[in-house]
Amino acid sequence: MSTATSTPDATPRLRRSAPGLQTREIRSLIFVAILLIVALAVLPQILSVYWVTICTAVAYYSVVAGGLGLLMGRVGLVSLGQIAVLAVGAWIACKLSFSTSLPFPIVLLVTGLITMVLGTIIGLPALRLSGLYLALITLMLAGAITVALRTMQFPNGGPGFLGNDPNQSDPVRRPAIALTDVAYFRYTVVICLILFAIALWHVRGRAGHAWAAIRQSEPAAIAAGVNITLYKLWAFALASFMTGVAGGLLAGDVQRLYAITFTTQQSIILLAVVLMGGIYSLWGGIIAGIFYSLVPALLNNWGVAADWLTILFGVGVLQVLLTAPGGLSQQFPRDMKNLYGLITGKKRKERQAMQAPPGGEAGAPRAAVSDGPDQSGVVE
Amino acid sequence: MPSWQDFQPFIVTGLALGGVYALSGVGMVVLYRATGVLNLATGAIGAMGALIAWALINDHGWPQGVAYLVCVLFGGVVTLAYGMAFGPPLAGRDPLVKAVATLGLALILLGLMSLIWSDKARSMILPTTTEAFAIGTVHVTWTQVIGIALGIAVTAGAAAFLRYTKLGTGMRALADDREITASLGVPVRRVEAAAWLGTGILSGASGLLLSNLVGLDAATLTFLVISSVAAALIARLSSLFGTLLAAIFIGLVNALATPILSISQYRDMAPFVIAVIALLFMSRKGNLATARGAR
Repeated sequence: MSTATSTPDATPRLRRSAPGLQTREIRSLIFVAILLIVALAVLPQILSVYWVTICTAVAYYSVVAGGLGLLMGRVGLVSLGQIAVLAVGAWIACKLSFSTSLPFPIVLLVTGLITMVLGTIIGLPALRLSGLYLALITLMLAGAITVALRTMQFPNGGPGFLGNDPNQSDPVRRPAIALTDVAYFRYTVVICLILFAIALWHVRGRAGHAWAAIRQSEPAAIAAGVNITLYKLWAFALASFMTGVAGGLLAGDVQRLYAITFTTQQSIILLAVVLMGGIYSLWGGIIAGIFYSLVPALLNNWGVAADWLTILFGVGVLQVLLTAPGGLSQQFPRDMKNLYGLITGKKRKERQAMQAPPGGEAGAPRAAVSDGPDQSGVVE
Repeated sequence: MPSWQDFQPFIVTGLALGGVYALSGVGMVVLYRATGVLNLATGAIGAMGALIAWALINDHGWPQGVAYLVCVLFGGVVTLAYGMAFGPPLAGRDPLVKAVATLGLALILLGLMSLIWSDKARSMILPTTTEAFAIGTVHVTWTQVIGIALGIAVTAGAAAFLRYTKLGTGMRALADDREITASLGVPVRRVEAAAWLGTGILSGASGLLLSNLVGLDAATLTFLVISSVAAALIARLSSLFGTLLAAIFIGLVNALATPILSISQYRDMAPFVIAVIALLFMSRKGNLATARGAR
């Protein structure tokens, strides 16, 4: 299924379905390919190991953000505890790494699956209630996991089930083909690409259509025969799986983990960057990953206090919710297009005609997180 | 297993914590019922108020009473300002969006606090903490008494206010339907402003008390809001006395787990565990999404 042809909420502007890829999709694919070549071949050549490590973090945080964006933008569920889920994934990966001799890809897979099951169990009671309840339960979950981890700490080769020995600090295993930081960066990018592909596949498929129906109107979705609890749970499970695998990647990246890095505040900041990046497109996840790990490192480099960024994120949340529900991933191409038009002077008249109603684009999709513009099938 | 003697002091601690959780929990429920906003920035507002009071006393030598008043007023003013600025444009949106927007405020305040008061240890000791008396062998400070008493008094006061005053009736009407209430001639904006101001003052007061009972740390105080949220959630975001009972229960479980060594370190998970059990119990009859409390 290459285009969204049967979304219940199909808007008139949807393209007619034609076999094969659309021009726009081909353009996106080429863009992704170029980006990938730059990431895999060029970046490690021009950056120092420190910045390559930061880029590794950008990659797996993009996956976490992509999972959260999928929950919020596609289904209209908000999780306030994704960093806690990430911590759970990292913990499981540490545990598997020290207690078993499974190869690294299998560790990642099993980590993802266990995280998925745990996420589903926790989400189940709240999913039967309203979205606000799920958000609050996940907020409490974040608090609870933070408390538990502070006591348990991460396995580091110690004895017993918890496997933590304060006097020891063995590193988490890395895959044999990616022992150096640069090789591990490439490995991470590939895994993250696979995870994004899985997410895209879900969004394009049956589940994506069910999510679109749920987001538009739950009663209508029920009437149309969509099992809303199942599909909400499905989205929650998918996001947990992605976050769990990202946790495994994080464990392999950092190698020595400390509970103090996973705080409730980080979960809220993740939510903020995901909103700012944009929740209706998977590109938003990548922008969010950059905001979450690269920008703080840059600011640190320039000697600016990271607290300014926290303030900026708070302002960003309010701004996105008030005026720009699509976030930067929608805003930026639009601004670029406007800029291009301004420079070339083309289409100026049409643009003015389009912007005639006050507020223009920002005013049009003045919608809740749960009922933004329909984008299914338009995930570039 | 520790003996009964070991538990006694923690009963008082638990009751006091529960009372203060109820204070902000009741504020949240009142605001949620009147405006549909679940203010998750309550903790951050209280924390900032407490830090301002601390700075006024220790850096500027203000008299304590005035500083505490500033703390409480700060809560009211910031909450009111937020409500006036962001309440109306978000009024028609989903409760979830409104709740997420308050997290934006929480982040701004968290950033400011960490920028101004870098993370070093501080402590806030209210003058009422130094005055204590004994019940049997248990040492009770007046701050703890204030915590319990204020929690109960505010719950009862808020319930009576909603029931018997004109403003309270307006808030209850808003909880049911904003449009119809407006068409009946209730000054919606003014009623909402009163709700924002009142609950803001409550968050300032609870921040001040918690900074003494728990500790003066921005992140800790900000996320103590989770306990109040749990209490409000158990009361389905609608019942004031339900919130009070749930808050006291959470406070008690949290404190009474302290002397039991095997679970002592995990005792701060109490709000989460209790809320999940309560939710499981509540959702056993199927979908509650349409229930009034859940909107």
